[in-house]
Amino acid sequence: MASHKQYWKSEAELTNNPVVDQLAQNEFTEKLPVNDFLEQESTLKDSQSTRRDFLKFLGFSTAAATLAACEGPVKKSIPYVIQPDEIVPGVANYYATTIADGYDFASILVKTREGRPIKIENNDRATLFGGANARVQASVLNLYDKNRLQGPEASGSAISWDDLDAAVIARLESAKNTGKKVVVLSGTKASPSYLKAIEALKSKYANVEYHTYDAISSASALDAFELAYGERALADYDLSEADIIVSFDADFLGDWQGGGYSKAYAKNRVPHHGKMSHHVQMESNMTLSGANADKRIPLTTVEQKRALAALYNALNGVSASESSTAISGHINAMAQRLKTAGSRAVVLCGIDDRDAQLITLSINEFLNSDAFDVAKPKYVRSASASVLEDIVTAANKGEIGAILIDGVNPIYSAPDTDAFAAALGQIGFSVTSSFSLTETAAASTFVASASHFLESWGDVEIKKGHYGITQPVIRNLFDTRQFEQSLLVWSGLSETYHDFIQNNWRGSILNGSSWSQAVQDGVFYRSQSTPSTFIVSNTDLESAVNKLSSSSSNGIELVLYTKTGMGDGQMANNPWLQEFPDPISRASWDNYLTISKADALAYGLENVNVANGGLDGSYVTLKVGDVSLNRVPVLIQPGQAKGTVGLALGYGRKLGIQDEMQTGVNAYSLYLGQSKVQSVTIEKERGMHEFACVQLHKTLMGRGDIIKETTLEDFISKPSEEWNPTPMVSLDHQEVPATSVDLWESFDRTVGHHFNLSIDLNACTGCGACVIACHAENNVPVVGKHEIRVSRDMHWLRIDRYYSSEESFIEDTEKKENLDGLFGDNGSLSGFGSMEDPSENPQVAFQPVMCQHCNHAPCETVCPVAATSHSRQGHNHMAYNRCIGTRYCANNCPYKVRRFNWFLYSQNDEFDFHMNNDLGRMVLNPDVNVRSRGVMEKCSMCIQRTQKTILDAKAEGRTIKDGEFQTACSAACDTGALVFGDINDKESRVAKLKESERMYHLLEHVGTQPNVFYHVKVRNTEKA
Amino acid sequence: MASHYEAPIRKPLVTGSKSYSDVSNDIARPVEGKANKQWWIVFSIALVAFLWGLGSIIYTIATGIGVWGLNKTVNWAWDITNFVWWVGIGHAGTLISAVLLLFRQKWRMAINRSAEAMTIFSVIQAGLFPIIHMGRPWLAFWVLPIPNQYGSLWVNFNSPLLWDVFAISTYLSVSLVFWWTGLLPDFAMIRDRAVRPFQKKIYSLLSFGWTGRAKDWQRFEEVSLVLAGLATPLVLSVHTIVSFDFATSVIPGWHTTIFPPYFVAGAIFSGFAMVNTLLIIMRKVVGFEDYITLQHIELMNIVIMITGSIVGCAYITELFIAWYSGVEYEQYAFLNRATGPYAWAYWSMMTCNVFSPQFMWIKKLRTSIMFSFFISIVVNIGMWFERFVIIVTSLHRDYLPSSWTMFSPTFVDIGIFIGTIGFFFVLFLLYSRTFPVIAQAEVKSILKSSADNYKALRAEGKPLYEMPPRGKVTTYEVEESNTNLTTDH
Repeated sequence: MASHKQYWKSEAELTNNPVVDQLAQNEFTEKLPVNDFLEQESTLKDSQSTRRDFLKFLGFSTAAATLAACEGPVKKSIPYVIQPDEIVPGVANYYATTIADGYDFASILVKTREGRPIKIENNDRATLFGGANARVQASVLNLYDKNRLQGPEASGSAISWDDLDAAVIARLESAKNTGKKVVVLSGTKASPSYLKAIEALKSKYANVEYHTYDAISSASALDAFELAYGERALADYDLSEADIIVSFDADFLGDWQGGGYSKAYAKNRVPHHGKMSHHVQMESNMTLSGANADKRIPLTTVEQKRALAALYNALNGVSASESSTAISGHINAMAQRLKTAGSRAVVLCGIDDRDAQLITLSINEFLNSDAFDVAKPKYVRSASASVLEDIVTAANKGEIGAILIDGVNPIYSAPDTDAFAAALGQIGFSVTSSFSLTETAAASTFVASASHFLESWGDVEIKKGHYGITQPVIRNLFDTRQFEQSLLVWSGLSETYHDFIQNNWRGSILNGSSWSQAVQDGVFYRSQSTPSTFIVSNTDLESAVNKLSSSSSNGIELVLYTKTGMGDGQMANNPWLQEFPDPISRASWDNYLTISKADALAYGLENVNVANGGLDGSYVTLKVGDVSLNRVPVLIQPGQAKGTVGLALGYGRKLGIQDEMQTGVNAYSLYLGQSKVQSVTIEKERGMHEFACVQLHKTLMGRGDIIKETTLEDFISKPSEEWNPTPMVSLDHQEVPATSVDLWESFDRTVGHHFNLSIDLNACTGCGACVIACHAENNVPVVGKHEIRVSRDMHWLRIDRYYSSEESFIEDTEKKENLDGLFGDNGSLSGFGSMEDPSENPQVAFQPVMCQHCNHAPCETVCPVAATSHSRQGHNHMAYNRCIGTRYCANNCPYKVRRFNWFLYSQNDEFDFHMNNDLGRMVLNPDVNVRSRGVMEKCSMCIQRTQKTILDAKAEGRTIKDGEFQTACSAACDTGALVFGDINDKESRVAKLKESERMYHLLEHVGTQPNVFYHVKVRNTEKA
Repeated sequence: MASHYEAPIRKPLVTGSKSYSDVSNDIARPVEGKANKQWWIVFSIALVAFLWGLGSIIYTIATGIGVWGLNKTVNWAWDITNFVWWVGIGHAGTLISAVLLLFRQKWRMAINRSAEAMTIFSVIQAGLFPIIHMGRPWLAFWVLPIPNQYGSLWVNFNSPLLWDVFAISTYLSVSLVFWWTGLLPDFAMIRDRAVRPFQKKIYSLLSFGWTGRAKDWQRFEEVSLVLAGLATPLVLSVHTIVSFDFATSVIPGWHTTIFPPYFVAGAIFSGFAMVNTLLIIMRKVVGFEDYITLQHIELMNIVIMITGSIVGCAYITELFIAWYSGVEYEQYAFLNRATGPYAWAYWSMMTCNVFSPQFMWIKKLRTSIMFSFFISIVVNIGMWFERFVIIVTSLHRDYLPSSWTMFSPTFVDIGIFIGTIGFFFVLFLLYSRTFPVIAQAEVKSILKSSADNYKALRAEGKPLYEMPPRGKVTTYEVEESNTNLTTDH
C-alpha cells in the first residue's frame, strides 16, 4: 500500500515557506533566518506548536537536564600533561633503596606502578641485608597511612615551614647566646651524611649535642664491644661459616642486634653432602631461633649467665660441675664439641649484660671462629642505655635550651615517660620530626611532619664498608620534610639534602665510583677493614666470669622481647602487621604475658577455648619495682623456661594511631634501665582476655606424614624409603603407591609451562616475610581482631606452627602408632587426648601452607558453577566473578587454604583499614582485583606475575631463564626455602628439587597430586 | 460358632461408624467453619517466628554470610544441617503417598494428604537454605544450566550440589503435582458445598473443573498410579543425592559409601516422626480421632522403630569401618565425634535416634498417644543432631591440625532455623484451614473395609441391611446429592 506520508525536514518546508527554496538554491549555507521568523507575528501565530507540545518539550528538556546533572561514575584519573619516559602505564618500575628506620636496616627494591610504590622486594644486588623481613615488607603501607601528619604543626594547629624554621632558628640563636645546650636526639642512623649534617649544625651552633636513642637497646653488647675493640659497634656473624652455633638467648633469627642472619643461617641448615650445622639454643622465651634449634634448653637468664661462665671455664680447662650450672653435663659436652669444631663454631649471646657479652666475644676470639667478624662490625645500634636519663637530668638542671627530636618517641618508649615529658616542659622548646602525631610529637612545641623513607633521600653504613642509599620513589604525598633537610635549613645551608649526600659521597665514599650506579644498585661496597685486636685483660675477663657465675635469681624473671610482626612498635598503625600472626604463638592484634604451664598452674592462670574456638586467657598485674602494669593477658607458652615470663614490647601505643590498632599493653614501662630482664611479681586479676589466635590447635597429633622429619644420622645412613615413605594403598589386595591409583585421565603436561613450588622445611625459619609479601601482592584484605578470633583470617599463605607433644615429633608418631585398643593407659581415648597437649619443652616445626594447586583438586569437582578449575600450567584457578559462594570447595579442601569473603572487606566502615580510604587503597596492586563479598579466594600462585614473565619473554622473543618465574612468597624468601619455577624446564632449580629424595607432597595419600611440594625436615639432633 | 475356622476380621480403618456424609461434613468443617482461638494463638506464634526468620534472612543477605557463626574451617553448619533435616522430613510424605499406594496400604489414606503437605512445606524450607547459604544469592540462577552469552560457560555436572538442584526441584515438582492431583476431587467437594460465591470461585479454580464423571475418576486413578511410580524412586534418589554432597568429598567422616541407604533410612525416620507430631496434634484439634486412629499411630511408630534401628546399625557400621579401614584420619574423625569437643552432640544423637525408638517394641508405649508424641519430638531433635554431627564434627577437625577450630551459632543462625519452623507451621496452619486435610474421596472407599460392625449386628441378631422405609423420599437425599456428585463411583 502506498504511503501518503510526507516527510519534511523543518516546519518551514512543510508550510512551503519560500525560505526553504531560497536556502536550497544557495551554494553556501547562510545563517538560519531565525530573526525573520520570530519577528513576523503572523508566522508565529501560524505555528503548529500547541500548548501541549510546549509542555512536552518542557518536560523533556527538564528530564534531560536533570539526567545530565546526575553524577556519573567519576574516574579520578588525571592524564599526564607530559608523560615521563620511564613510566609506561601497566609496567612496573623497580627502584633500589634502603630502609634504615633505627630498628630495621635492609637493602630493598621498591616496585612502583604508575608512580605509586606498591610493594617491597628483596634487593638481590645486596650481598648482605638484602632480605626484607615482615616489617620491611609491610613498610610500604605506612606511606599511605591516613593517620600521617600532613604538614607541620604548632600546638595542634597547622603552620608553615617558614614559620617553623624561623622559630627554630630564633631559638637556636637564643640558646647559643644564653649558652644553653641544644640537644638533637635521633634513633640509630648509621648514616655518614646524617652525621655530616649534624656537623653542619654544630659548626653553626657549637652548643649542639647529638645523641642517639634506641627504643630497644643493645647497649650492653655495644659497651662490651667498645671495651674489647675500642669502637662502638656490634660484632657481625656469618652463620653460613659455622658448623656449631651455640646461642645464649640470642634470637638471631628474630631481631637480635638488628637481625638479618637468617639467610646465612639457612644456607648451612640444608644438608649438603650429609652435612649441616648444629644449633643449640639456651633461652627463656620461646623464640624463632629456639624453635629452629636442634637442641633447645629453656633456662632462666640467671642460669644462662652461669652456663655461659661454666662454658668459658670449660673451654679454659675447668670442667663444669653441678654447683656451677644446672646443665653441667650439656656444658661439658658442648665445650668438647666447640673445641673439636674450633673455628667452625660460634657462640652468640643475647643476654643484656656487659660481662656476658664480653665473655662471648672472648670465647669467639678463643675459638678463632670463622663466623665471627669484628673487622667489619655492624653499626645498626649505637645508643647507650642512659641517654634519656642524661637528657632528663640536664634538662632539669636547666642546661638545655632546645631539643630537636628525629623520629624517636621516648614519651611512649621510655620506661619513665612522665620524667621525659616533664623534661620537655622544662626545656620549653622542642621540635619533633615525626611521621604521625606520636606521644612525643603531641608534647612538643613544634611538630615537623616527616617524610616516609620512600619519599626521602638518605644513606647508611650498615656494616663497615657496606653502604646503602635511600632514594625517594615518590614525591612527598603531603607537606612533609625529612629531618635531614630541616637540619640543613636550620644550619643555614641552601642545599637540598640530595645534593648534600651526593657531595658527601663524591667527596669521601665513592672514591671515583659512579654515584648513579650506586643509586641504581642501592648498595655500595668499599673494602675497608680495621684489624681489630681484643684488648681486654685476662683479669678483667676473670672478674666478668666470676660475676656471671655468682649471679643469683631474684624471683620471677620478666624477659621482654619483640614480636616479629611489631618490632619496636613504630609501625603499630600498620594493619598488615597487626594482623600478622606471631610465628610462635600465632596470635595477632595483641601482646601478652607468655608463661610456662607449670607457673600458670601455680598462679591459677588459664587459657581456655570458648564455644566458637576463640582463645581466652586470664589477666594479671605485673609489678617491677614500683611500676605496675595492669590487665596483661596471659598466654601459656610451651617451652617457656620455668621461673620466667615473657612480654613483647612495641604494643600499647595510644596516640597518632587509629582505635583499631591501639592493641596490647605498653611493656616499655617495665623496660627499666633498658634491660630486657626484670624481676617481676605477678598477681592474678579478674576477667578473661579475648585473644585473636589463628591456630587454636597446637600439636601435630602424631601425624608424621604432614611434616615428615628425620634425623641427620638416619638421613645419611638409611634409604629414603625409611624416612620418606611413599604412602601405599591396597588395590585389588596389592599394596601400590597411593599416587598410582587414579580415576582421571590426565592431559599432556609436557607442553608449555608447568609451575611447581618447592618448600624446604629445613630452610624455612618461620619468619613470615612471605606472609606479608603475599598480603601486599594479592590485595589480601585485613579483617580485624574479631574476625581473626572467630577463625576467619584471610591469609592466602600461612605458616603452620606445631609443637611436639612428647619430647620430639618422632616420638609423637611412635606413640600414635603404638596405641593399642580404646581404653587403658595406652588406649586411643587417653592417647589422643594427651597428644593435644604440647610438651613442656617441645620441638617446633614450621610449615608454610598455601593452595597446593592440586592436579586432582577436590575443590574443582564440587563447585556447582565451575568457578574453580585447572590450568594447563598447573594452577588451580579461581574465577571470582563466577563464584556464587557455596563454600563447598573450602569444605572439601584437605589443606583448608581457601578463604571466604564473609563480608565486604573493602570500602566498608565496619572494616576501617587501608582498603576503606582513598589513601590506603593506593597500595593496592592494580594487577590483582579486590574481591567482593560472598566469593571464595585463595592463593593464585601469583598468576599475574607468571603471566607477566611469559608475555615479556614473548615480546622480547626469547626463552625464559630459570629464576625468572617468581611468586611473591618465593621472591620474599631470602633463606631459599621457597623456590618457584617451571618443572617442564628440566634444568630449572625447581625441577631438580622435585627429584630430591627429600621431596614429598602434603597428604599424598589423598591423591590430590599437588603442584606444591615439601622437603623432609632433617634435624641434626643425634650428636648433642 | 466354634464349629468352623473364622478368618480374622480386619480392623476398621475409620472408626465411629461414619457414613459418607459424615466424612464430607467432617472434612469440610475446618474449611467452612471459623478458626478457633487455639488456631489463632498457634498461628500468631508461627507467624512471629517466621517474621523473625525473614528478618534474619534479610540481614544475612544485606550484610554477608559473616553474620553466621561459620569460619575458614567450618564452612557449613546450621545452614546445611537445616537443609538436610528439612529434606529428610519431607520424605515421609512421598513414602506414604507413593510407596504405600503401590503396596496397597489403605491405612495411608487418612494421613497421606497431610503427610504430602508436610513434604511440600518442608521441601520449601529445605530449598531456602541452599539459596541463602550462598555468598551471592542473587546469582543463584547460575546453578541452572541456562544458555548464556558466555559461550561455553556451563554448570559443573560433576558437582553434587548441582545434582541437588535437580533432585530437589524434581522432588518438589513431582510431589506438588501428585498432591494436587489427589486434591482435585476434594477441592471439588468443597466447591460444591460452598455457598459464598467468592469461595466457590476459588475452589472452582483449585479443582481444575473436576466434574466427577467416570472418565475423571479413571484418569485420576491412572495419574495417581503413574505419579506414584515416578515418586517412588524419588524417595530413594533425593536423599541419596543429598548424601552425595558428603559421600563424594575427601573429608574424613564425610567420605563414606554407606551414606545413601543410611540417609534414606534416616529421612524416613525423621519424616514419620514429623508426621506423628503433626497428626497427633491435628486429630485432637480438628477432631479427626475417628480417621487418624490409634492404629495409624501404632503403624507409624513401627516404621519409626525399624528405620531408627537401621540408622543405629549405620552408626555402628561407620564406627566399625573407620576402625577396619586402618586409615588414621578416618579413625580419628570418628573417635573425635564420640569423644571430642562435640561428643555431647554425638551422644544426643545416639540417645535420640538409636535408643529412644527402641521403646516402641513395647506395645503399651507405641499405642500411647502422649508417648508417641514425645518420641516423635525426640526423634526430630536427634535427626537434627545427626546432620549437625556429620557436618560440623567432620569439618572442625579434618586433616591439618593447624586449621582445627570450633563452631558456635550466632543469633542469626538460630533465627533463620526458628524462622523456617515458623514458616513451615504458617503454611501448615493455613493449609489446615483451607484444604481438605484428609483425602475424603479415598477415605470413603475404605469406610466398609472391615466386617466388624456386620459381625456385631449378627451377634445382636439384627439384619445386616435394612431397606430404607418406603415412600419416604426425604430431604436427606437432597442434602446428600451434593456429596454424591463427587463420591459415587
